Amino acid sequence: MSPAKWDVVVIGAGPGGLAAAIAADKAGASVCLVEREARPGGILKQCIHDGFGLVRFGRKLTGPEYAFLDIEEVKGRGIKLFTETFLLDLDRSEEGFVLTLQNSEEAVFRLEAKALVAATGCRERTARQVFIHGQRPAGVYTAGTVQRLINISGYLPGKNCVILGSGDIGLIMARRLTLEGAKVLGVYEIKPEPSGLTRNIVQCLEDYNIPLHLSTTVTEVHGTERLEGVTVCRVDENMRPLPGSEEYVPCDTLVLSVGLIPENDILHPLGVEIDPRTGGPVVDQLLATSEAGLFSCGNALHVNDLVDYVSESGEIAGASAARHALGDYRPPRHVPILAKGEILYAVPQRLDVSLGGQGILYFRAARTLTDAALVISAGGRVLGEKKYKSLRPPEMERIVLDLSLVPAGEENIVLELRG
Amino acid sequence: MEKLLVCIQCPQGCKLMVKTEGEEVLVAGNKCPRGASYARQELLNPCRTLTTTVRTEFPDFPLLPVRTAGEIPLGSLFAAMGEINRLLVRNRLRPGDVVLERVSGTDVPLIATADMTLN
Amino acid sequence: MAKKLKSVIKELRKFGLTGVCPREWRSSIVLEGEVDSWQEYIAAGYAAAGKGYKGVVNDLRVPGLEPLKEYLPPGRGGALAGKSYDVVIIGGGVIGCAVARELTRWDLRVALLEKEDDVAKQTSSRNNGMIHPGLAAPTGSKKHSYNIRGNRMYTQVSQELGFEFHRCGSVVMLEKSFYRLALPYVRRKALKKGVDGLEILSRQEVSRREPNATDRQRGGIFLPSTGVVAPYMVTVAYAENAVENGAEVHLNTAVLGFEMEGDRIVGVRTNQGVLRARVVINAAGVWADKIAGYANDRFFSIHGRKGTIAIVDKALGSTQSAVLAMPQLGVNTHTKGGGLNPTVEGNLLLGPTAIEVPQREDWSTTAGEMELLLSRHLSLNRRLRPRDIITYFAGVRACTFEEDFIIEPSEYVANLVHAAGIQSPGLASAPAIAEDVAAMTVEILKKTREVKRNPAFNPVRRLTPQLAKLSLAERAEVIRKNPAYGKIVCRCEVISEGEIVAAIHSPVPAATVDAVKRRVRAGMGRCQGGFCTPALLEIVARETSRSPGDVTKGRPGSRMLAEETKAGGKTG
Repeated sequence: MSPAKWDVVVIGAGPGGLAAAIAADKAGASVCLVEREARPGGILKQCIHDGFGLVRFGRKLTGPEYAFLDIEEVKGRGIKLFTETFLLDLDRSEEGFVLTLQNSEEAVFRLEAKALVAATGCRERTARQVFIHGQRPAGVYTAGTVQRLINISGYLPGKNCVILGSGDIGLIMARRLTLEGAKVLGVYEIKPEPSGLTRNIVQCLEDYNIPLHLSTTVTEVHGTERLEGVTVCRVDENMRPLPGSEEYVPCDTLVLSVGLIPENDILHPLGVEIDPRTGGPVVDQLLATSEAGLFSCGNALHVNDLVDYVSESGEIAGASAARHALGDYRPPRHVPILAKGEILYAVPQRLDVSLGGQGILYFRAARTLTDAALVISAGGRVLGEKKYKSLRPPEMERIVLDLSLVPAGEENIVLELRG
Repeated sequence: MEKLLVCIQCPQGCKLMVKTEGEEVLVAGNKCPRGASYARQELLNPCRTLTTTVRTEFPDFPLLPVRTAGEIPLGSLFAAMGEINRLLVRNRLRPGDVVLERVSGTDVPLIATADMTLN
Repeated sequence: MAKKLKSVIKELRKFGLTGVCPREWRSSIVLEGEVDSWQEYIAAGYAAAGKGYKGVVNDLRVPGLEPLKEYLPPGRGGALAGKSYDVVIIGGGVIGCAVARELTRWDLRVALLEKEDDVAKQTSSRNNGMIHPGLAAPTGSKKHSYNIRGNRMYTQVSQELGFEFHRCGSVVMLEKSFYRLALPYVRRKALKKGVDGLEILSRQEVSRREPNATDRQRGGIFLPSTGVVAPYMVTVAYAENAVENGAEVHLNTAVLGFEMEGDRIVGVRTNQGVLRARVVINAAGVWADKIAGYANDRFFSIHGRKGTIAIVDKALGSTQSAVLAMPQLGVNTHTKGGGLNPTVEGNLLLGPTAIEVPQREDWSTTAGEMELLLSRHLSLNRRLRPRDIITYFAGVRACTFEEDFIIEPSEYVANLVHAAGIQSPGLASAPAIAEDVAAMTVEILKKTREVKRNPAFNPVRRLTPQLAKLSLAERAEVIRKNPAYGKIVCRCEVISEGEIVAAIHSPVPAATVDAVKRRVRAGMGRCQGGFCTPALLEIVARETSRSPGDVTKGRPGSRMLAEETKAGGKTG
């Protein structure tokens, strides 16, 4: 049986993929979604707390409520959704791409796509990647796994927990564990400032009298079968452990909230260019990767903090994929964006100046800045400027660039942030 | 009574100081009126939205995520959790469906936030 | 006084170990007294070795040293009380499991006893999986002869037992050009030792073979017979084939002593009761000396040598084809020094390091050992960075002071066979060791009864589908027959629910998260179980009729979860 042909196939039905599929459908392309879990919604299924959708809907929704809106639209539009379907292989074909997939109903099957949107999300950094030492007792989990255990499976991983990492996921889990009957002994953060939103510091830690220890990290776990305690250690300004400042904290669970890594391993066979600073593909303002017809969005492109921006990137990628599939394709003229000064990273990494219109740029500051200025220039000429009262690395910023301002023949565009 | 807090109404994050003086509540440090009302509320009657899960009788959807439809007093959260943890959902609910009419003595209902219906 | 005793005393004095009192016992030398540190304990042991004694029994006390910790399973029952076997094997590592399988070629009642919750829990899953060529083992040693034989057997054994074996070869690089002058001598020696196919490589030739090899290399040698395996897979494969052919494997069963009658073991005391055995095989790894002691046959002692290993992301697996090593010449160690190996799954593996440790079951990693490991091995491949490491772990080798295998029937106990002191190249030697130990055992049995061949013996292990090894058409066929194979649980390694369920119900059942991991690799990928652990817990619970709250990571004390939330809600 020959594979079904689609204009656009979206890999992943989390918020990024759902938005991409809707946008592709709106643009008139035939589109289907491929999702490895039993239900769509991605990580939002387990993010039962609220705070999602302020930018996109002007409402404070829970993860499932936010996902529901897009899932209902996908259903309403009759967009085909493959669930519990796993992508085994990805290859180029004459007209675009060939996907090899498996699931329980169809066994192994193929899909052909003129364009692809990779909305594969991200994974969590592990204990091994932050070099925590000791034996391998039960009781060491990443925060996302704990969230899934509590909110989907219905189990507490432990009763006396230490959390490493004060990013929003760690803070949210501090509250969730406490409400479900565990004791959170403290949240430890290696940086001198907390990583998460102030709102979460108040509503997840202060509300429950959970202490926050800054400039402190966990270096060792104790216990052979089950975790018995951890060694915490103060660190210096370079985040290196200060010998002699170790302290033993008895606990039975260590929850790690130590960062997210974009997941793009399925793109390896295609040799897509990846930006080492973001962990995601190098893209232009259409979210086109270095592979013609392959678009990236959501946390697979770079780790977002607002799901609203994930959806926005999905809309852009989906619309771009549809245009590509429907034949509206011209070879791009790419001008790289050089991120300078206090910029940790910027996405997209280049602009296709053959197109007019607007381009949305996202960037993160490398450190906390007050009274900062972002200057966009090309060939020494300032194209735009924006001032910020305060910028923090955990809060990603978004600016809209008018592409008509970019003079022709420029070698690169400079994005510089000064504190 | 006195309290130091950071306002969370907007990204500015003004540092506020709020205290009672006799009958009055005084707020200092706010750059807008929203800050003042937030500070007053936080001192006198801090309220929160509670988000949690409720057990269901469906093996394919064992826990239903829920939220209070509005904010309830911070002090009543644990009592609310106890009450919510004794519930069992017997129908396939959708977002917005009421799970519990009144949570913990308030008039705030508990509503479903996910779609339990089969595809 | 015997000459050899004098020479031991002289050697001890040379190291300033005057608190040590050596005495002879049977053919061994016993060290008693006190020393100041573990380093001195080790030094004394080596000082007494190689002086003509059969073994060194190091009973020196180190005051202030933490007491020796030994895991014993918590169960105390009578499940095995009064049971009778022809052969009881103590230890479920690669040696014990391989011996069990070899013994099932005969019509015998064989039981393997393992104190941990699974086979391959200790040294056998904590090594670099290398099937050595046999060049490094000292000529004339048991290590050497068993290595050469075992290495050659791996091709056939891997096919029979259905585990991955890659004869990838090894490139041993030299740091200084002038070392190459010795290479023709090394090649002649290799031929004499039975190591075939050694090629001398120039600097350019090393580069051509391994484009990502370190710039520091100045040529070296290529050894084509080197291979790699997943050592826990080898052990499980041996154990399963043994069970298929009639052997019994009893997990969570520790041997606590022997009942002796004259020079025979008549009873094996375990935490599950006392069993009868015609012959006992001591394959007890780091505790082999303790087991020998139960029969008053402790003619050697074991000390632990810990090694740390790190695994590199599969994305970099293609940057290297052979094992890479760069020995540190001029450094006097008892260890080969490890290297950088490809693994059969497509990762790269660094290590192991080697450090003498008193605690034989301490598998903790430390920042210091990691630093040593990375500084020594990471740079062997120019493409590797510390951030490419996805996990690391440690293991403890069982070393004797004679630094050679002990593969022999006991001199004093009529029905005891020792397979002890198995450190590198133990894995490479395992198939050959198992053959010989089985033969020795049958010899002993034949003295008192007839021993017939097992007509039903099938050397080929029954395999359940492993999707990663199948073509797409075969994969589709498997899924159509059993839809559980269509559902992927471990996304990083692409492992299906069908494979996990099959592992849980395999001949040596996997009832813990780590046992499943050891059989199907779920949780060994780059997310290290972050995504699949909740599903894995639910599947293990369902298939073993337990609640997820009762599922352990490994040992009985290692529950993964605390409790069910909202337990009261169930009654609604």
